[in-house]
Amino acid sequence: MINRTVASTALLELRQISVAGRETPRLSAVDLALHPGERVALLGPSGAGKSTLLAIANGALVPQSGTVLWQGVPQARSAPARRRQQRQIGTLWQDLRLIEELSVQQNLNGGRLAHWGWPRALLNLLVPLESEACRQVLHRLDLDPSLLAQPVSALSGGQRQRVALGRLLRQDPLLLLADEPLANLDPRLASELLAQLLREAAPPRALLLSLHRPDLLDGFDRAIGLRAGQVVFDQPAASVDAASLAALYSGANG
Amino acid sequence: MKPAAPLLPLLPALVLVPVLLMLPGAIHGGGWELIGQFALAAVQPSLDPVVLAAQVQGLGITCAVALVAWACSLLLGLLLGVLSARVVWHSCCGCQWPADVVARLLAVPRSIHELIWGLLLLQLIGLQSVVAVVAIAIPYGALVARVVRDLIDTVPRRSLEALLSAGVAAPQALVTALGPPLLPGLLSYGGYRLECALRSATLLGVFGLGGLGNDLVLSLQSLQFREAWSGLWLLLAVMLGLESVLASLRRHWTMPPRLQLGPRDGGQATIGAQGRQMLLVLTGVLLLAWALAAWLQIDPRQLLHWQTLPPLPAGGWRQALGLNWLPLVFNTLLLTLLAAALAVGSGPLLLLLLAPWRWGQGCLLGLWALGRLLPPPLTALLLLFVLKPGVLPAALALGFHNLGILGRLLREASASAAGGAEEALLQAGIGPRLALLYGRFSPIARSYLAYGAYRSDVMLRETVVVALVGGTGLGSQLRESLSAFAWQEIALLLVAYAVLTLVGEDLSDRARRQLLGA
Repeated sequence: MINRTVASTALLELRQISVAGRETPRLSAVDLALHPGERVALLGPSGAGKSTLLAIANGALVPQSGTVLWQGVPQARSAPARRRQQRQIGTLWQDLRLIEELSVQQNLNGGRLAHWGWPRALLNLLVPLESEACRQVLHRLDLDPSLLAQPVSALSGGQRQRVALGRLLRQDPLLLLADEPLANLDPRLASELLAQLLREAAPPRALLLSLHRPDLLDGFDRAIGLRAGQVVFDQPAASVDAASLAALYSGANG
Repeated sequence: MKPAAPLLPLLPALVLVPVLLMLPGAIHGGGWELIGQFALAAVQPSLDPVVLAAQVQGLGITCAVALVAWACSLLLGLLLGVLSARVVWHSCCGCQWPADVVARLLAVPRSIHELIWGLLLLQLIGLQSVVAVVAIAIPYGALVARVVRDLIDTVPRRSLEALLSAGVAAPQALVTALGPPLLPGLLSYGGYRLECALRSATLLGVFGLGGLGNDLVLSLQSLQFREAWSGLWLLLAVMLGLESVLASLRRHWTMPPRLQLGPRDGGQATIGAQGRQMLLVLTGVLLLAWALAAWLQIDPRQLLHWQTLPPLPAGGWRQALGLNWLPLVFNTLLLTLLAAALAVGSGPLLLLLLAPWRWGQGCLLGLWALGRLLPPPLTALLLLFVLKPGVLPAALALGFHNLGILGRLLREASASAAGGAEEALLQAGIGPRLALLYGRFSPIARSYLAYGAYRSDVMLRETVVVALVGGTGLGSQLRESLSAFAWQEIALLLVAYAVLTLVGEDLSDRARRQLLGA
């Protein structure tokens, strides 16, 4: 288990985080620190607590005990201050959570809403805003810029996945969180998306991604193994061997 | 520039701009004190046992009228709905034109508001207990028939064809194949109509047809606000009780949601062992209605005893044609549009402004319950304490009542639409109101507006209710003609109302189809 001393520079630090569950705790005394430039994969069988840990990391869930530090600062108590902190955290959801009724451009601009005031947020629903920036994002994701005006409901699965990533890029957060983003994707799309995510996680950003396929660990700096809500290992990704994976997944359904 | 989905439900709220501009000119000097007294009386209702006993008695009559009228309309609607369904005629005699004829004929009773039926019957047979019941049952029966017809005609016919081809006689085959898929949709719609019937029965009381509405308007007119409030609190308790019982039955039987009311979803709900429960509850309620009808001393034969009426005035048709038709129709349409825009637009606006605030949800629930509780003519009466008579107070009163109905549906729909997209926006540091606008209004925008279109069509029918108080449009003219026994004018006014509401119904149907189909 790693206990870094450079906590002040960590983008995300979890100290002794515990979350109660129905029978067993969903997370139990978890420590984790994530520094700029780090690409960390969360491994573990289904029900190990990966999604819970990500929900703690982005503030969706409040732990029963323990401390969450964002850029060395505890979660703010006041709602506006907390929202300012959350702007720096971007999540790529497994179910994407795009707004089906809006166009690609409006969805991409959804990433900027936290920075915009009401007038621009309303204008975004009337006219295309910041088209050039949106076009660049699509270009970066290898998508045709003519898609901007399309409703997202008209896109293919792979395109939608990339639009969700595009919204994250428009948000421009420091901490990238992703909850099993590669599930439900065919192998080619999965490796493309992963490559893009890893590329975007260059300093000052960092990436924490829950992964259901240990064969895709290449490119990650660290891997954290979770089992029954506890950290089983936290080590360089390259040093994760078949034996530790077998121990992590043994007897599990996932 | 094309507004995106989340903005659509807010667009009708733009009507607030001209309304707020018109408001200063519409306010007259006095009356604010009275409004203050009315508001204050809400927290100190009269507890005088004599008042309470009278109001409990009045409330009993209102509830009994509502239940009996509802039961009659349900049976009538079922019968007429079956008679106007194409599948039924096609299965029984191989042709479907009689179905279309019945459906067209039903448009007439449907297009005329229960209050007009009530006032007409009042003139014809005098103040009898049967009047209020029949006045509600006629239009409601025709409305239920329309829904039943749509439900029957949209249920998949495969099982019916299978039974018919196996040699089963048409009536048995129809009941077996269409009954079970029809029941949940019918009961869900029936529950909604029961809520409406309670409101209608109260409203008819306001116009002198007995029950609590009568007590309420008398208390208001004699400025006995504390007495009025004890009646309103009683009515509120019954209304909320009924709504929550129906909502829990709907949940228990997993019935179609109300925002997508209508044939589109009617056939989707499943039925199994629950069908027996549904039939048992329905039979129980119908038996209760039968007992209540006996308590109210309702005798259908009263309908046959017409009063002697004054003879038709000579030259009446010329006089009727000489009415100021253009302003009458224009004011009626203006009233509908204003009220509809106020009701449809204010709901989402208020939800957006108040819901994220800690006490906001409670405030909204209270405001919307008050809107449903107060019959529009009473609200108009209160508004006339501070506003000059005209289209504005009438539209505000009608809009407020419908805001109560739409607001409740909007809240239900928005609660079920909460989740994924909105949560993702919140986690990205976006404020709660913007997250609500983008995340929650997007998925419900079209179905909400479609329901708003249906409601606007209802509001057109309802203009008669406030026009009588607000002094504008066809409704106020109708009231005058009714008290003058000017039958030719009444006939023409009814035709005008029927034509307007049928055109309105067609327009709102088209708008709904376009909104839901897009």
